[in-house]
Amino acid sequence: MNAYLDYQAAKPVDPRVFDAMKPYFIEEFGNPSSLHLYGYNATKKLEESRQKIAEFINAPSPDNIIFTAGATESNNLAIIGGALRNKRKGNHIIISEIEHISILNIGKYLERQGFKVSRLSVDQYGRINLNKLERLINDKTILISISTASNEIGTLQPIEEIAEIAQKHKVWFHSDAVATQSSVPIDVQKVPFDLLTLSSNEIYGPRGIGALYLKKGVRVNPIIIGGGQEKGMRSGSENMPGIVGFAKAAEIMKAEINTEAARLKKLRDKLIEGILKIPKSYLNGHPEERTPHNANFRFDYIEGESLLLALKDENVEVATGSACSSKTLEPSHTLISCGLLHEEAHGSLLLTLGRFSEEKDVDKIIEVLPEVVRKLRVLSPLTPPKFLEQIKKEVN
Amino acid sequence: MSVHKYTEKVMDHFRNPRNVGEIEDADGVGKVGNPVCGDLMWIYIKVGKNKEGEEIITDIKFKTFGCGSAVSTSSMITEMAKGMTLDDAYKISRGDVADELDGLPPIKMHCSNLAADALQAAIDNYRTGSNPELEVVTSCQLEVRVILGLEEFLGKGVYKKVNDLEQFRDKRIIVSDTGDESLELALKLTEYTGRVILVTSAKSTPGRVEIRKKLERSDVKILYQSEVIEIKGELDEVEKVVIHDFDEDEQYELFVDVVIILD
Repeated sequence: MNAYLDYQAAKPVDPRVFDAMKPYFIEEFGNPSSLHLYGYNATKKLEESRQKIAEFINAPSPDNIIFTAGATESNNLAIIGGALRNKRKGNHIIISEIEHISILNIGKYLERQGFKVSRLSVDQYGRINLNKLERLINDKTILISISTASNEIGTLQPIEEIAEIAQKHKVWFHSDAVATQSSVPIDVQKVPFDLLTLSSNEIYGPRGIGALYLKKGVRVNPIIIGGGQEKGMRSGSENMPGIVGFAKAAEIMKAEINTEAARLKKLRDKLIEGILKIPKSYLNGHPEERTPHNANFRFDYIEGESLLLALKDENVEVATGSACSSKTLEPSHTLISCGLLHEEAHGSLLLTLGRFSEEKDVDKIIEVLPEVVRKLRVLSPLTPPKFLEQIKKEVN
Repeated sequence: MSVHKYTEKVMDHFRNPRNVGEIEDADGVGKVGNPVCGDLMWIYIKVGKNKEGEEIITDIKFKTFGCGSAVSTSSMITEMAKGMTLDDAYKISRGDVADELDGLPPIKMHCSNLAADALQAAIDNYRTGSNPELEVVTSCQLEVRVILGLEEFLGKGVYKKVNDLEQFRDKRIIVSDTGDESLELALKLTEYTGRVILVTSAKSTPGRVEIRKKLERSDVKILYQSEVIEIKGELDEVEKVVIHDFDEDEQYELFVDVVIILD
């Protein structure tokens, strides 16, 4: 069995979720818009599912939940729909430099439509500066969109303080919760988000389904126009198997999140302790304020795609912030925004754990990584001669 | 992802690269690439003569920093060129290297371009007899340069004088090499933060012998043959600097909190 350490890229569907979905492909195929028995049953299941998603984030009512086709769509609906809704009030939106690529690109799109977008910088750990956030707000500001955490470096943002600032200035606060929803409980009554993005696959549900939470009184303009489903904010016949699976996944996650987070944190700390024993290795992101399942490293003098390929040969599956493994050949914008040089960002290794990770996966990478890194350093012209002598000796 | 698109031959050369290393008494050395974009290749050649009296490559070795295909193409070109006449080796094109590897993903074609360039650079180096270690550094470190944004952010993240080091705790600091005093300051700052970057116009570690040794042992990250040309920020706070690397003749941005340029 290969050691899979790339849960941020994709998660398997929990078998309990798959079982719950099965009847909704063939027997329970009804469309909630129909008035006959099949339609009635589907409507009932749809509203039960909505209730479970609401419970997952402690939303006061299922009316706060809109189903979408995933987190990217939820981000589009929240930010583009929110911007269009508030166009008369203002045209200024604040995001951070390290948002998910969907949000960065939505920002660029809105700029082309005449909106102004500020990108808040972060410190070396990837945390935003609250004081600066407050000073960026002006009378044209309509929306702040900052994720609960970075999916790449795991750094948690001070969301309670951000929500407080947003409320004080009467600006909407949207947050993409994808990076934390599998390991940090969310309570929208404690943290007054106006809009919150949720993904199904992030909590071991199927892909192609997600949700947007909207606080009571918050409405956005639709970006998908059609038959007026989801209170007119998201048209299209409901993806019933997906919705049922998502709801089951949320129910399981709500029940297990605390024990799961504690287990993952233990594994993550073992990873960090084991891997930082490698000379000239560093942890990216915040040492304490980070998601329980994320560990991101960098190693001097080596390049991430080579590292990924070499680990693949050892049956260890990982991710990297190296440009060589991306579609654009650009290194990770998150690592660059934290102040890393390009060649440092190229040498990053992203390890993410999940529900089916086991201690043996962690032990495996801790065992094979030192030699993989050493070999790549012997090959690299960036390795300083003195250090090279030292690592050449190590093997003998 | 690109990984799945590599041919077996590419993976074979990646797993078992041929002719890795340096040739100490090489006749020609070719150094190409750019660590900023993620690839760096050094090729060493030894030149002899065949029975016909033509010059041929008798030995060839390489070192590479780069992705999977950068490693594979370097390895492949050393196999192709060994024993070839210099004239033939000079004509190896990027397409030739990619073809020998049964093809490369389109986005990786620049890597094979680099391998061919490095070999040509090594042959040029042999033919002209110039020493690649003695590349002439451009004269910009002798000129007085204007740093854009310096006055605007003075006292707001930019410092020409430094008294209280405590204010720099945990910050990302860039120090410009203006002599031994600045180097000592950079070393001292590592006690306050994990991120100290020194920008120097020198090609190797600057400073008096003792300082140089300390710098080499320290966590100070050194950017050689580079200079700060612009300081950028927002709301009266420094956010980033623009670095000019005059060896590669290119510019890039670096996110920092503090810029120190001692008078």
